[in-house]
Amino acid sequence: MSSLVGFLSLILAIGINFYLLLSRYILRFKNQRFNFLIRLSSLLTLLSFFSLMYAYVISDFSNYNVFQNSHSNKPLIYKISGTWGNHEGSMLLWLSILSIFSFFFSFTKNTEDNFQKLTLIIQTFLHILFGLFIVFTSNPFLVNSILVNEGLGLNPILQDPGLAVHPPILYAGYVGYSIVFSIAVAGLFQNSDDEWLHVAKKWSLISWTFLTGGIALGSYWAYYELGWGGWWFWDPVENVSLMPWIAGLALVHSLMMVRGEQAIKKWIVFLSILCFSLSVFGTFLVRSGILTSVHSFASDASRGIFILLIFFIVTGFGFLVFLLKEPKKSNSLNLLFINKVSALVINNILMIIATFTILLGTIYPIIIEVLYNKRISVGGPYFNSTVIPIMIPGFLLMSIAPILSWQTNKIKNSKKYVLGLIILSFLVLIQSYFLDFNSWGFVGLLLGLWIILASIIAIFSSYNFKFNFKFFQIINPHIAHIGVGIAIVGITCSSVLQNELDFNLNVGDEFNVDGKRVLFKEIETTNQTNFQSLRGKFLFDIKKDQSQKIEAGKNYYPVSKMITSEAGILHKWDRDIYFILGDQKNNEWYIKVLINPFVSFIWLGVIIMMYSGLIAVTRR
Amino acid sequence: MSLRFQRLLLILFTLIIILSAVLLILYNTKENVSYFYTPSEIINSDITVNKLIRIGGFVENNSFNKVSSSSFKFRITDEKASILVSYNGILPDLFREGQGAVIEGAFDNNNIFNASNVLAKHDENYMPASIKKDLKDSGYWNKKYK
Repeated sequence: MSSLVGFLSLILAIGINFYLLLSRYILRFKNQRFNFLIRLSSLLTLLSFFSLMYAYVISDFSNYNVFQNSHSNKPLIYKISGTWGNHEGSMLLWLSILSIFSFFFSFTKNTEDNFQKLTLIIQTFLHILFGLFIVFTSNPFLVNSILVNEGLGLNPILQDPGLAVHPPILYAGYVGYSIVFSIAVAGLFQNSDDEWLHVAKKWSLISWTFLTGGIALGSYWAYYELGWGGWWFWDPVENVSLMPWIAGLALVHSLMMVRGEQAIKKWIVFLSILCFSLSVFGTFLVRSGILTSVHSFASDASRGIFILLIFFIVTGFGFLVFLLKEPKKSNSLNLLFINKVSALVINNILMIIATFTILLGTIYPIIIEVLYNKRISVGGPYFNSTVIPIMIPGFLLMSIAPILSWQTNKIKNSKKYVLGLIILSFLVLIQSYFLDFNSWGFVGLLLGLWIILASIIAIFSSYNFKFNFKFFQIINPHIAHIGVGIAIVGITCSSVLQNELDFNLNVGDEFNVDGKRVLFKEIETTNQTNFQSLRGKFLFDIKKDQSQKIEAGKNYYPVSKMITSEAGILHKWDRDIYFILGDQKNNEWYIKVLINPFVSFIWLGVIIMMYSGLIAVTRR
Repeated sequence: MSLRFQRLLLILFTLIIILSAVLLILYNTKENVSYFYTPSEIINSDITVNKLIRIGGFVENNSFNKVSSSSFKFRITDEKASILVSYNGILPDLFREGQGAVIEGAFDNNNIFNASNVLAKHDENYMPASIKKDLKDSGYWNKKYK
């Protein structure tokens, strides 16, 4: 029943959008209820999504999709999040988020009426494309042809709280760029004033913040889930999320120039179209399964071709409009050797080069396979040794960019910065002399700390400290850069200074980790709702009265006959102690312990960046 | 500095960045790319010792040998040829005999493949596209694998 409601409301939503598209641009009759219909179709799409969710919650196995991906004894949270734990459901989530964006955009005030409608029409166009994609190739509402009373179960790896939050937020970021795309294309058509730049800025910041959050959540999930290669693996699926993120970052920075009346409109439009194209391209790469990835799930070639088609339509349409309807001539740039404009231009160039480097590395295996019929894999080393060096000049520039002037080459208080940099380099050099010297570690640490220091100097020497909202808006760019600096320190320390220990232990053994005594207390097996768990229990730092418990082990899911490993992590502010329980032979267990210094800084840095993203939305 | 000179500097700077990016990419695609082979391709190729490659195939039945709790030996096969692999560490959860796996590592002097990384396929239905293609080509494609 709910499946029928869901399917019909989806069809109706697509129908309404067809009607809107036809009535407004082809038949051209007056439509008084434009906004009402837009909102109605958005709500219908959401209704469709919630009907699917309802089918999952009540375990309605007459729905084929539910039968394939759910099981009645799953905990409720995984029934709800299982809605988007499969291809069909996740595409419906994609479409629903597109609708939510259209819904909210239809309420925006202060925009020219025609411009707003045109943007929404482009949104309906996208809605139709992806709606048809769902109906024809990935319909989640198919009826199960056989009568069953139990489902096949959700992939146990996905039975994790991460599934509840990571995909929706990541999709909000990806799909958010659809509205940026529509705004930019509508802006090209209208070609009147620069109002759309301000609108675009707000929405691109919102999308970027969501995308940041989504990537970080995924990264955190991959960090504690064994077998996904840690918090960043340069896996194709991770790369495709990073590309729109970097392009989006370039877009946000270009839109900053609007304030200095240096808007390079062409470039902004180009980036807006690029961001959404990369989002759709990412969807294609992930969904078509042409890439080997540790995160790949079910894939199907016909879907891939359909998405590729959508990709060409969207990108082709976007760039065609861009070529035909060139934006009116913008102000010429006030490009000096080192002022804010040139810093932003260089930053944009670097980010675009980085994006294309990642793109190249990601699709290189496909190109080689097509050309030479050889299969290769491009892994971490390639990306680490290309993307990072490309970004380094950008990071250097970033530390001082916010205090550069728009008009001249002068840097305020330049002596302070030089002095700060010299002292800092000296300190980092001494620090790395005492630890093992590592050139990447030295460069990363110096860059990260320098960005933090320079931003703090800038805040205290350029502005009068006041504790109100306005002040936080003004210093916001510096805060964002401090976030980046903190994240760089975290990334550098956790990758360069990571320490790995191996043990072969019997229950009751004591061993040393990170200078502390650890007791291997027991092995315990228990039965949980839908899995059996095996846990090695450890007591960390037994000399102290309050020793901390760490549990690492495995879960066995009988429904899908799969085992998952669960790492035991002890979080401290300056390091994570990461326990993995390995195999056993003759009651001797293999235990691996990783000490990851300053991992928490990565997440802290990301949270600060997201905070600044939100603050920047409020600033005009 | 004249305005013109400043812009010239900027353009030069940009060109240097782009050039170094291109050089980096060219250099790294040569150095940091690992080739992917099936066991039967390896038998017929001239792969040198210690060259990092990936092998894709299935874990041969009855070949798995637990040397200790952290050290394993097994054979990886594509039904035409098989390669002896030795691995120290923790095997992925989905690793078992008869299942698909991708092994990253290099051959040592005794013709044993020392794995640095073992990747098992991700869920019951998933298999790397490249292995799927090889199995289909060699006629060992089992309908059960999606």
